[in-house]
Amino acid sequence: MKKIIFKHIIIYIILFFFLIIFILPFWTCLTTSLKSEEDVIYTIPIQFPLSPTIKPFEEAFNIMQKPLLNSFIFTTFATIFSSILGSMNGYIFSKIKFKKSEGFFIIFTIGIFIPYQIVLVPLVITMSKLGLYNNIWGLVLTHTAYGIPICTLFFRNFYEEIPESLIAAAKIDGAGTWMIYRKIVLPLSAPAFVITGVFQFTSIWNDFLFGLVLARGTEALPASVALANLKGTTTAFWNVQMAGAWLYALPVVAIYILLGKYLMKGYMAGAIKG
Amino acid sequence: MKLTIDEIITIFIFSFSLFLIGYFVYGCIGWNIILSLSNWEGLNPSYNIIGFIQYINLFQDPVFYTSLWNNLLLILIFVPGSILIGLFLAILLDIESRVEGIFRTIYLLPFALSFVITATLWAWMYNPSIGVINTLLEKVGLGFLKSGWITNENIAMYSTILALIWQFSGYTMLVFLAGIKSIPEAQIDAARVDGASDFELYRRIIIPQLKFSALSAFVVLMVFALKAFDFIFVLTGGGPGYSTYVLPLMMYRETFAMTHFSYGATIATLLFIIVMAIVLPYLYMSFRGKRE
Repeated sequence: MKKIIFKHIIIYIILFFFLIIFILPFWTCLTTSLKSEEDVIYTIPIQFPLSPTIKPFEEAFNIMQKPLLNSFIFTTFATIFSSILGSMNGYIFSKIKFKKSEGFFIIFTIGIFIPYQIVLVPLVITMSKLGLYNNIWGLVLTHTAYGIPICTLFFRNFYEEIPESLIAAAKIDGAGTWMIYRKIVLPLSAPAFVITGVFQFTSIWNDFLFGLVLARGTEALPASVALANLKGTTTAFWNVQMAGAWLYALPVVAIYILLGKYLMKGYMAGAIKG
Repeated sequence: MKLTIDEIITIFIFSFSLFLIGYFVYGCIGWNIILSLSNWEGLNPSYNIIGFIQYINLFQDPVFYTSLWNNLLLILIFVPGSILIGLFLAILLDIESRVEGIFRTIYLLPFALSFVITATLWAWMYNPSIGVINTLLEKVGLGFLKSGWITNENIAMYSTILALIWQFSGYTMLVFLAGIKSIPEAQIDAARVDGASDFELYRRIIIPQLKFSALSAFVVLMVFALKAFDFIFVLTGGGPGYSTYVLPLMMYRETFAMTHFSYGATIATLLFIIVMAIVLPYLYMSFRGKRE
């Protein structure tokens, strides 16, 4: 008995040790974001501020306001577009087995894994030619296009679970492929849309590389690039940077707390990050 | 054959996706490979095909070998590090399943966040003068361990890798936890009846059945180890010197900072080939596995 209790104590000590390591950067980010510049220099980073101030947040918000709005707009649209297209493709791949459909599916799936460096230069040229460089709709198009592979994979795996008999019955009643999608498949898709939507929203919100090469100046600048720029300047002190990090993290943290269950399902269904 | 209106709509929608993938994935890859065989430098997009000269230049560039070596370090340290810590945490949480939810939520949080955020946090952790780690080390009397972390070129890459393991361990933990949950209860109960201790249970029954979880985590981490860009770009920018350069970062610098477009395309093509050499066998295996 004693031995068992001892074992549990050891495990808990290890778990809490890792807990501290995982939380420490977030904790110091929080304390630092509420400190004045003097406090940042003269207090220990993990210590709570002597005189808490929200000034760093005000300063960071002034700089990040427009980029946050930009990110919100293109992330929302690209999430919606890529999820809808993914749903339709997923249906086609799982329920209409046409000639070479598996080959096409592999062609789609490879798109998940490519290192985006391989498309950057042609992408920038294309967007410039289309007049979409430094434009929010350029980012919507980019994130939609590169979001299709993973969304298609999510929906195809989900639709594989829909019994074939349901589709066959509708076919006998004379429903065509598009009608079956609208009347049978789509109404069953709510959970898949939540999982895919949450996954896409966080990935696109978190993206840095596409924003970095497709936006200059303020017009379409995403929040990720704005935060990186904030870090690059010498004028923004640590407290402002930390406040900026919180502002940019907020939507994802909110999703993580409220819809974490679905986000984890998304990670499990084929999380490809980076 | 006459198409119904339904089929026309379906074909139209599918063609639209196919067009986007065809252009933005495969078209751009092809275009990039052509660029890698050309001599485009400077902002004006004018170039001639010159063959493999860029590749020959690349193989003679010392920065290329520094970058490649750092990618290799990620594969050698970051990948097994994340897998082992994730497995360890998954086993501990599986034993203490009552508190699994809350610990899992906190361990996984870094993975949900943008690399720009985590890099900003770790820049503050590693800051040599007033940063978190050095200040704490001094306060607890371990001042002699203070270091430049990301400003010392001998250890900057290792500091970067450590922070990345911090970000990815929660993910591997999640993969292994799901793998453990998929093992039939009956097997575990049977082992328990036979008097297996926790240690034996995990060593003989559970861990051997996590092969597929380990493989999928391994592929995801390997691909990341090659593609890693955001985090390193924001944390160190490749510095000090070239000490934390990786191939994607070298590609970005050559292309967008120095406008050596063809040279950048060459680095990207090589990176693409390496990634595909890992991904394609994996995809082939999983598709064949599904069909059988």
